[in-house]
Amino acid sequence: MSFSRLVKSLVLVLALVSVAMAAQAPSQIEKDIGDKVYCLCGCVTSLNTCPHPNCEVKDEMLRIIRADLKEGKAEPAILQDLVNKYGEKVLAAPPAHGFNLTAWILPGVGLLIGLFLAIGIVRRWRRPTAQAAAPAGAPPVDENVLSAVEEEMKKYVD
Amino acid sequence: MNQVGAVGLIAALVFAIYGMVSGAIAGKLRSPRMLKSAQRAVLGFFAMTTLAVVALEYLALTNDFHNSYVASHSSIALPLVYKIPVLWAGQEGSLLFWTWLLSIYVALAVLLNRRKNRQLMPYIIAICMGVGTFFSLLTFWVANPFNQLSLATATGVTPYAPPDGNGMSPSLQYHSMVIHPPMLYLGYVGMAIPFAFAMSALMTRQLGDNWIRVTRRWTMVPWMFLGTGIVLGGQWAYHVLGWGGYWAWDPVENASLLPWLAGTAFLHSVMIQEKRGMLKVWNMVLIILTFFLSVFGTFLTRSGIISSVHAFAKSDIGPWFSVFLAIIAAFSLTVLFLRLDFLKTENKLDSIASRESGFLFNNWILLAAVLAVLWGTIFPVVSKAIQDVTVTVGPPFFNKVMIPIGLLLLFLTGAGPLLAWRKTSFQSIKRNFTFPLIFAAIVGGILFFAGVHRLYTWMSLFLCAFVAASIVAEFFKGARTRMKTSKENFFAALYNLTMRNTRRYGGYIVHFGIVLIFVGFAGQAFRFETQGLMSPGDLLRAKDYLFRCESIDTGQKANYEYETVALSVTKNGHALTVMHPQKRFFLAEQQSLSHVALHSTLAQDLYVVLEGQDQDTGKAIIHVIINPLVQWVWIGGMIVLLGTLLALVPSRIERQMADLHKNKEEVAEAHHVL
Repeated sequence: MSFSRLVKSLVLVLALVSVAMAAQAPSQIEKDIGDKVYCLCGCVTSLNTCPHPNCEVKDEMLRIIRADLKEGKAEPAILQDLVNKYGEKVLAAPPAHGFNLTAWILPGVGLLIGLFLAIGIVRRWRRPTAQAAAPAGAPPVDENVLSAVEEEMKKYVD
Repeated sequence: MNQVGAVGLIAALVFAIYGMVSGAIAGKLRSPRMLKSAQRAVLGFFAMTTLAVVALEYLALTNDFHNSYVASHSSIALPLVYKIPVLWAGQEGSLLFWTWLLSIYVALAVLLNRRKNRQLMPYIIAICMGVGTFFSLLTFWVANPFNQLSLATATGVTPYAPPDGNGMSPSLQYHSMVIHPPMLYLGYVGMAIPFAFAMSALMTRQLGDNWIRVTRRWTMVPWMFLGTGIVLGGQWAYHVLGWGGYWAWDPVENASLLPWLAGTAFLHSVMIQEKRGMLKVWNMVLIILTFFLSVFGTFLTRSGIISSVHAFAKSDIGPWFSVFLAIIAAFSLTVLFLRLDFLKTENKLDSIASRESGFLFNNWILLAAVLAVLWGTIFPVVSKAIQDVTVTVGPPFFNKVMIPIGLLLLFLTGAGPLLAWRKTSFQSIKRNFTFPLIFAAIVGGILFFAGVHRLYTWMSLFLCAFVAASIVAEFFKGARTRMKTSKENFFAALYNLTMRNTRRYGGYIVHFGIVLIFVGFAGQAFRFETQGLMSPGDLLRAKDYLFRCESIDTGQKANYEYETVALSVTKNGHALTVMHPQKRFFLAEQQSLSHVALHSTLAQDLYVVLEGQDQDTGKAIIHVIINPLVQWVWIGGMIVLLGTLLALVPSRIERQMADLHKNKEEVAEAHHVL
């Protein structure tokens, strides 16, 4: 193959690739929005993952998103447009205001309460350590001996 | 055969009621004769539910569309391999399947405990048969799979059979669907047995270490099935749903995760009770919660109360389940409350730096995960009830809440086993943590310089390295000690070490599987996707891969028509493979489904979906996803399964302990009979 034919072939390949990619590949912002909203056709999945071919609801939602993007709207404004049309249920996560705030707060509160409970239990379980209870003047336990004993215990008691 | 099945259902209900009552009487009166009768009722219950299951399978296999359930979920063209899953393809069959699996579990519990746990068995039977009564009643009364179709004519009502059935949902016609639901159900149903053991131990005041020792194994088995079912479900979603993911935080997926998480907490905290006699009340709460969530999961899956991609039917079983869940909660908490005095902690904690507190914090994280998943799952219902607003709680919520929890859990998976029981000295901490931390730091550094800058992804891989190193170090240290003391070579020492304490080293292997699963999760951060319209000769580039459309063909199989695209794939100019994504149109069901084409390596999956045909150009819409590290999720799942199986093998220590317990039990039994 001559060099010029090789270059022509490469150009043709690149042109075809770019055509194929430009035809359908959604932009990053469109994909991001598609992850943040649900398709309301009944598939119960995000817009990006709706499994229905030629889904009318999905097409309609994509039309709104693309039109907004063309107008230069930012992501929050586009999401608001979708909420205005379909209601809050279109959002893949409840907006953090009003009662919906509890959805976001409760897991964190639960985690903290659990942590305090665990700390409380540990404190209640604690008893004076052997060293504290040891009579005055008793020789201190050698750390090396203690850790060797621990290793032995791990082998057999575990 | 329809009548045979219906008779089986009625008889199963009768046996369940009798088993429940006779079991309770046997427990109250301590009557061996009554216990024998209750045990026979269990076997009768098993025989009758088996009869009903065989009858329904027969109707499905012979295309008997007089049966309303078979007509709704099967068709003549449905391949034979998918006629067996007709049993669990719909509401009525699923509930019968649940009942049948319960009967198998209870029959096994009875047979394996003919000479053991005699004091516990009466109430175990009563409780399991109580659960069996509920499900038999539901199957018989509310969702009977043996209803027949009929036509009202001038001469009266005559039986009717349509020429063909409606078929099975195309998404269920996939090979892992043949085993995924049975695995999940084996997990859900099996949790009834440890729950019954726990309740019986409370009711009989037999709260020594015996019930907890027996229950651990009865919990591990359903826990293993549940975990396997979850992974298989992920595989199904990955291969069938066509969006390139395996977990979408769907309510039904969450429903399976909840009892698994609670069961995981129980399997860990139960060790504290065995070793130190602590956390006795907490363990009871955990086993109650695990069973409660198992029933709740079944309810969520079958009721359609929350919208889900997996909710195959909306039905009126909701109120029945609500009442049953209330009964479980009221009964178990009352029994627990009445026996609180018998559940006093036997020991105190020696040090915060100990295995005990490690387990306690592991429980804290697991329970926080349960709370977060449960709250997110039911929030749409709560929101509708309180503010009359329908909201959706999907992946953005769960990812934000669960990733930090998951990372904390991953850290504890590595750190916990490095702590000794009772007390870990500073020197020991230093020695045990040094190698894993240094290894993790090296891996973390390499990842950072390789361009992994997303915090969660980096942290996840850093912690994976930390946990993996800690596990390897544990095996290595143990083997080295054995080599010194027993003069064995390294591999013999490793084998003997593992078999001496299968539970501990099986547990480490499970942890290693979890690490690999997290590696797979981390790969999602590097996912790449593109889409293009293609006809023969067109090219599409995705990173280093070039796809060329060779041909577009159509064809027909017994139950579906298909369109398929042949795509030759080259990587950096070298021929790699030819992929054949398909779009299938199922004739009986009048539904279409994508059949994904996959080219998998350990590094990444090439995932190609034929989305359909572009209406304007007539070209095929090809969606390409490059999914890094996905295979590690499946490999990790398999390793978790293998580790669990290993942990189930009685170790040498356990066998010695079991002999000791057996002798003690025989003495106790002799006293009991006298």
